[in-house]
Amino acid sequence: MTAPVLAVEDLRVQLRTPRGTAHVVNGLDYTVGPGETVAVVGESGSGKSVSVLALMGLLPARTATVTGRALLQGEDLLAMSPDRLRQVRGPGIGMVFQDPMTSLNPVLTVGRQLVEGIRAHQQVTRQAARARAVELLAEVGLPDPQRAVDRYPHELSGGMRQRVVIAIALSNSPALLVADEATTALDVTVQAQIIDLVERLQSEHGTGVVWITHDLGVVAGIADRVLVMYGGRCVEDGTVDDVLERPAHPYTRGLLGALPDLAEPLSDGRRPDLATIPGVPPPPTDLPAGCVFWPRCPVRGDARCETEQPPLAFVESLSRATGSSLPHRAATWCGEGAR
Amino acid sequence: MSDVLLSARGLEVHFPIRSGGALRRTTGAVRAVDGVDLDIHRGETLGLVGESGCGKSTLGNALLRLVEPTGGTVTFDGTDVTALGRRQLRELRRRAGMVFQDPFASLDPRRTVAQTVSEPLEVHGLHGGRRERTARVGELLELVGLDPAVADRYPHEFSGGQRQRVGIARALAGEPDFLVCDEAIASLDVSVQAQVLNLLRRLQQQLGLTLLFISHDLSAVRHVADRIAVMYLGRVVEVGPAEAVGTHPQMPYTQALLSAVPVPHPELERNRQRIVLRGDVPSPAAVPSGCRFRTRCPQAFEPCPDVDPALQPVGPADGHLAACHLHGVVGTPVSREDDVPEGPTPGDAARAPRDAGRERR
Repeated sequence: MTAPVLAVEDLRVQLRTPRGTAHVVNGLDYTVGPGETVAVVGESGSGKSVSVLALMGLLPARTATVTGRALLQGEDLLAMSPDRLRQVRGPGIGMVFQDPMTSLNPVLTVGRQLVEGIRAHQQVTRQAARARAVELLAEVGLPDPQRAVDRYPHELSGGMRQRVVIAIALSNSPALLVADEATTALDVTVQAQIIDLVERLQSEHGTGVVWITHDLGVVAGIADRVLVMYGGRCVEDGTVDDVLERPAHPYTRGLLGALPDLAEPLSDGRRPDLATIPGVPPPPTDLPAGCVFWPRCPVRGDARCETEQPPLAFVESLSRATGSSLPHRAATWCGEGAR
Repeated sequence: MSDVLLSARGLEVHFPIRSGGALRRTTGAVRAVDGVDLDIHRGETLGLVGESGCGKSTLGNALLRLVEPTGGTVTFDGTDVTALGRRQLRELRRRAGMVFQDPFASLDPRRTVAQTVSEPLEVHGLHGGRRERTARVGELLELVGLDPAVADRYPHEFSGGQRQRVGIARALAGEPDFLVCDEAIASLDVSVQAQVLNLLRRLQQQLGLTLLFISHDLSAVRHVADRIAVMYLGRVVEVGPAEAVGTHPQMPYTQALLSAVPVPHPELERNRQRIVLRGDVPSPAAVPSGCRFRTRCPQAFEPCPDVDPALQPVGPADGHLAACHLHGVVGTPVSREDDVPEGPTPGDAARAPRDAGRERR
């Protein structure tokens, strides 16, 4: 087996807030192999974005406490000096965020922003960097890259801007690409284009991808493995087929049930009501003891639910049934995954 | 009593583009809504879908005259909305409510829930005394699934889903017949979206409401709508029963749109044939001649640039209409004199104000 590009071990993030300490990420473990796509899913406030901001050293040091280890090709990101981290962002990790308008500098041309990134990490002349920038824009499918390189972000549509952000993220051929809700602000037709693009570039360069999203449809299309987050913890992980088709955690089941399923038959011309998860996620300043999901859980009933935190345990019956050799784990006292 | 509650004919909303000079001359127009024909039947949910910038929000606003139409007519329950005076317009706004996208921006942070929900009652002079109004606010909050005891709280004390319920309660205060929900679930989490979708469906059945459900989320629209209308670049290009449009779309744009919607089944996703459209939506300031989808259409052929397609019956389902020459060339020939330039340049797209910007206001 090849060494993972990224190995996250017991990642914890606490933020100091006026309302007390927020336990935003509470012990996260995962690995991303070369060419592999790991999707991190969860609702807002589940800690999915903060967990990657922490990896990249983008949380404010004054209020955030980050512990654990995050090995990028064997080197711990969390122990790096700011200078070393700056060297790693680019050739090590490329980042794509949700809103392409706010992640680009509005007063610089697209070309300037690409050249800046290239010249920060590679000893090349301005002309060579510019030529590379044009190449990259062509690679991400921007029409007329020779002219596009001199355009400002406001002259491009949302989909085009996100392509530029991806071009910047890929300009130093990173080992790992982190996409945080990268297609959420885009229309479905443009989303399909961007996903195709990332998949193509990933297979060409063998990049590991961490794809953060709340959209389980997108996950089904791009992910090899899925990690479901709730209350700052991983409540279920496994292959995309295991997690989406055979979910073991009541929260994952709830999420899938809340989506309109168009394959479902109509009852007298109308679709049945959607399943809902009652209540709202707990605030990270006041997480429940025991299983983080128990206050909203429809199947709670185990004596340990309210007092003891369930470990992330193998869902044996399910894995065996499908003959899958890849682990499928869930953290719950209830349901088929329970010990 | 007619079956059609609201009907638009040739509805247009054009925004002038002015030059930057001192004279501010009008140099063109953004055709946000450009000749929409649409009927909304009493008691139905009509889903309106399309990509950002296609004019769906502007259409919703124009139906209630929250933006002034620049052409065409809107008839609400037999009255011509475009000809109403200020006083009659107020009555229209009582009978037609609106639920907005962002429950964080559409509620006044300095007013309590009770003040927000009772404002329409005061404006329309309903439930005269203060005590009756308080009772009515309690009723409305209960109707949308909130505890009446929260009436004295402020919006910041609520989650997104709860705020959207407050927005729905406000929209229902005047006992409307018609509700426009403009991306009402777009800013909510999946589990909360389901709660609000269920609520809207329950309210509709309970109160006999007619709903216009505007959304870019095709799965949600297919779930709630009886009929679906698809918009592209300011025009309704396909409309029909939700099942027919959802499973047998007849216009290449609708087909591409539906094929791009990801579904949470890995097996289906791996095997699906996705129609990936090339390029971006042309600018509504430079609409292609003839069929406006032809510049991105994988099946465009000779008549497309020359004849502006009209909605015509398609497919086996009753009331399924599409504006597409693949089903027979029907429409208005393009006169060569007022021909619009072939396809926009990227620069045009950038200069034109985008609909998306206004949606977020």
